[in-house]
Amino acid sequence: MNRPMTLDDLERLVGVEFPVGEFTIEGYEHWLTTDAIDSPPLPAGVAHPMYAYYAALGGMGLTLDELFAMVGSSAADGPMFGEAALEFREAMRVGETYRVEGGITGAARKTGKRAGVFDIVSFELRVVDSSGTVAAVSTNSFIFPRRTA
Amino acid sequence: MRVSAGTELPVFEVDEVRAAAMKTMAVLLRDPNPIHFDLDVVAALGMGDRVINQGPTNMAYVVNMLVAWAGDPARIRALKVRFLDNVRAGDRVFAGGIVTSVAGDGRHQIAECDVWLDVVGGTRALAGSATVALKGSEAAGETPAK
Repeated sequence: MNRPMTLDDLERLVGVEFPVGEFTIEGYEHWLTTDAIDSPPLPAGVAHPMYAYYAALGGMGLTLDELFAMVGSSAADGPMFGEAALEFREAMRVGETYRVEGGITGAARKTGKRAGVFDIVSFELRVVDSSGTVAAVSTNSFIFPRRTA
Repeated sequence: MRVSAGTELPVFEVDEVRAAAMKTMAVLLRDPNPIHFDLDVVAALGMGDRVINQGPTNMAYVVNMLVAWAGDPARIRALKVRFLDNVRAGDRVFAGGIVTSVAGDGRHQIAECDVWLDVVGGTRALAGSATVALKGSEAAGETPAK
């Protein structure tokens, strides 16, 4: 069981950098993904634009479980997506490997009438190709219920 | 195709959101959140009796709409969404959008759009905005942003 996260703990998360990771868009995974998300046909070799997200989250250098633990939560607590922003700078390619860098950019505690106490944690991830060009930027926020906060 | 403020984007429809696809995406994304595959957890969390679609997949339906409209994924420049409600296995959903302005960025004509994903007979699951570069022949004229 995770130790309850105090407001100070939460605010100290802002600025924490994730380990640098990498992500390869494997052909078979791309096929399965585009099938699962009902993608329309794409030009040969071009990755679905959602790989700006999938590569960012998949290659961010820590797992979602580790991210949830970092903010004092776990998958069993039912964390939910809040907002997501994608910036597409370069077309991503199937078969390419991308470096992923970034970290936590925001954290706030809120109280809702129905939801009770919950935390919103935001993080930015940059997806960088082999030439050093940022191909995409993915900014996301998760909502963490704090039933015991 | 001529594009100006008020142009409606062709709807992208998913007839039935598939629980099996959620399992595939959970594995591909290494997403351990059991609300996407374990009905017991969904029930224990008071979230109903159907598994919950991954938020990024809901976002992907909107991207699919933009790809189908633009004709080239490279013309999609940005997308920002807020997740408003859940999509569940068995739901029928529509991704839609409308152009709010068209303006030049020096090299291209850029369409700013409002976008959304609606559950048929249900609620709006997400809403946001998108930026799409147009082919030169598509822009019907620059319009001020609302």
